[in-house]
Amino acid sequence: MTVYRCEDSLEGIFTAIYLAYEEKRDHGDTYLSLNDEPMLFAEDVQVVPDWEKTRKVMNTLNCRFGEKDYLFLCMALAAEDDEKAQAVYRTVADGLKRKVNRGHIFDNLADDFVNKAFALATNTWREIDHLKGFVRFQELENGMLYSRIGPKNNILTFLMPHFADRLPIENFVMYDDRRGLFGIHPAGKQWVLYCGENERVPGDRTSNAGGLEGKLGKLKISEAELQYQELFREFCHAITIEGRRNAQLQRNMLPLRFREYMIEF
Amino acid sequence: MEYLVMGGEQPIMEKLKILTAAAKYDVACTSSGVGRKGNGQSMGNCVKSGICHSFAGDGRCISLLKILLTNECIFDCKYCQNRCSNDIPRATFTPEEICTLTMEFYRRNYIEGLFLSSGILQNPSFTMELIYRVIYLLRTKYRFNGYIHVKAIPGAAPELIQMAGYLADRMSVNLELPTAEGLRALAPNKHRKTILTPMRQIQNGIVENKNDLVLYRNAPRFVSGGQSTQVIIGATPENDYQILSVAESLYQKFALKRVFYSAFVNVNGDSTLPALPGGPPLLREHRLYQADWLLRFYGFRADELLDERRPFFNVMLDPKEDWAVRHLEQFPVEINRAPMEMLLRVPGVGVKSAQRIVAARRSANLSFADLKKIGVVLKRALYFITCNGRMMYPVKMEEDYIVRNLTHEKERVQFGSDGMSYRQMSLFDDGAFTRPLAEEEQLQAVVGQL
Repeated sequence: MTVYRCEDSLEGIFTAIYLAYEEKRDHGDTYLSLNDEPMLFAEDVQVVPDWEKTRKVMNTLNCRFGEKDYLFLCMALAAEDDEKAQAVYRTVADGLKRKVNRGHIFDNLADDFVNKAFALATNTWREIDHLKGFVRFQELENGMLYSRIGPKNNILTFLMPHFADRLPIENFVMYDDRRGLFGIHPAGKQWVLYCGENERVPGDRTSNAGGLEGKLGKLKISEAELQYQELFREFCHAITIEGRRNAQLQRNMLPLRFREYMIEF
Repeated sequence: MEYLVMGGEQPIMEKLKILTAAAKYDVACTSSGVGRKGNGQSMGNCVKSGICHSFAGDGRCISLLKILLTNECIFDCKYCQNRCSNDIPRATFTPEEICTLTMEFYRRNYIEGLFLSSGILQNPSFTMELIYRVIYLLRTKYRFNGYIHVKAIPGAAPELIQMAGYLADRMSVNLELPTAEGLRALAPNKHRKTILTPMRQIQNGIVENKNDLVLYRNAPRFVSGGQSTQVIIGATPENDYQILSVAESLYQKFALKRVFYSAFVNVNGDSTLPALPGGPPLLREHRLYQADWLLRFYGFRADELLDERRPFFNVMLDPKEDWAVRHLEQFPVEINRAPMEMLLRVPGVGVKSAQRIVAARRSANLSFADLKKIGVVLKRALYFITCNGRMMYPVKMEEDYIVRNLTHEKERVQFGSDGMSYRQMSLFDDGAFTRPLAEEEQLQAVVGQL
């Protein structure tokens, strides 16, 4: 048994998959682990993330399985789960071995690993779908839009393209407060991902004035912002039909965990 | 806090309250049907599947800024709270107010676009022109590239509807009541013909536009999200079969994208309308929506689900279960072999699971455990399917038995904790142990006489 110990990132896991193929391991007897839990009778291999190897794996997956399935594999890796690396690795191995057509890697749902990877990807996809609607931007004094999200899965990278396409003429920042990640979109330019060194809400302190936190200042929201928030809250109340009130249905459609980040609740 | 006043003498908050409350009974609040990328210079894009931005206290999705342009209406429809004989606060938005609200809500990601309807101000053509002016301003001056849904006002000049169609993503004309008699009784100013004319016009426009697009790729798009309509349920005595047949013919003859059903809420207390002591007929609405999906995605026909002799839906069973128990001669269906069309008719199997079954059975023989993983609802499906020639449990193929089980599944079907098998009997699982001990038994136990 070989155990590849890799870090919890796309690069780490793809590099491990590359190594497993490069070193011609038996895929049934190889394990991708994201933690340091020792395993009996196993040969440990530490994986150093390598951009070149990652790129090759990404290319292969994209060519062999098609863009949609490749994106789905990435979504599975964005999920919060200890077994995700193994599930994706075995799904890929299964797909390559059976030489599946593009767009058909997840067909074999009777297989446990494929099923697991598919379930993780679906879960992530659902959360992305939810947050595309539930994200709320607040206008800061300088006209920039700011939103705070707290998703279960690491989905900021999937949300940013959607909003960059939607609001190309806006400066906006999305902040993942669970992971300390920022997505920054300057108007009319390419968006970037920024990993905050100290995982704090911007505006808590203004110590490192040069850093991003300093630039965001104390998060003074603009005057019009409060007005529009109030208008939207009023809209949500006015649109409810009293005769059909159904709080259970509302909670089913919009789980309570999202409410913390939404201004109308 | 002082509320914004934009131009008019009424504060915008007041207007928004009045005109949102006036629009809330319109159900066509989806943002689906159009996929359009952002163009890099203006605000907005559209997502094919639609996005729900919030959910109101009644559990309905808030996707569009759903407002009326005005609730000053010259019509006197008995079911409508904005009818001219009602004494309610009236308000009218200016085009700038609507545009600013839409843009500001949109950039904060509160909404997916604008849904604009209106009461009839002066006459239908005048109202349609006002609506057109709003969306023209929104698309040009404010450069809004998101979703716009507008009402085509019945009786308005066809040119105005045509022009609005080139700016909007979806248009709708409300059928209001399923039959012409109902309409005559409750909406004296509306006529079946004036409703169907714009519907036909939009349909023809869409077809022509599709032909144009084949020739000229950059031709302007006409109502690219298709058109929809809504029907009020329970205000007039039509039965479910009539309503569903109307919906079916709308889908077939007018190529509608959606027919919405709206359970009637008696807001006016009008004596000609039914009083609904038990609240709006929500279950009936729900069954109609279920049947509507069966028509659109599952290949059912209206006359398969209902007929003249049984014109109402079963209250206990959903329409698909109801159809299945009446057609037991077609069941059980072998999961590993049945064609897609038959899989879609099995209760508990949806479109997604049917597609997954067809894909997965190419590489493996499916078992019940696999079906569960795929997402089939086994507690409903198990009476109608076999895997490799076996049923999950020994089940009588008998209508009464299956109906009894489907409707009382909590008492009848005994699932194990994993939901896959009858529970394994264990030593301590005997009924006697779950019964609370009688007092004398406790006493016997204490003194060691048990």
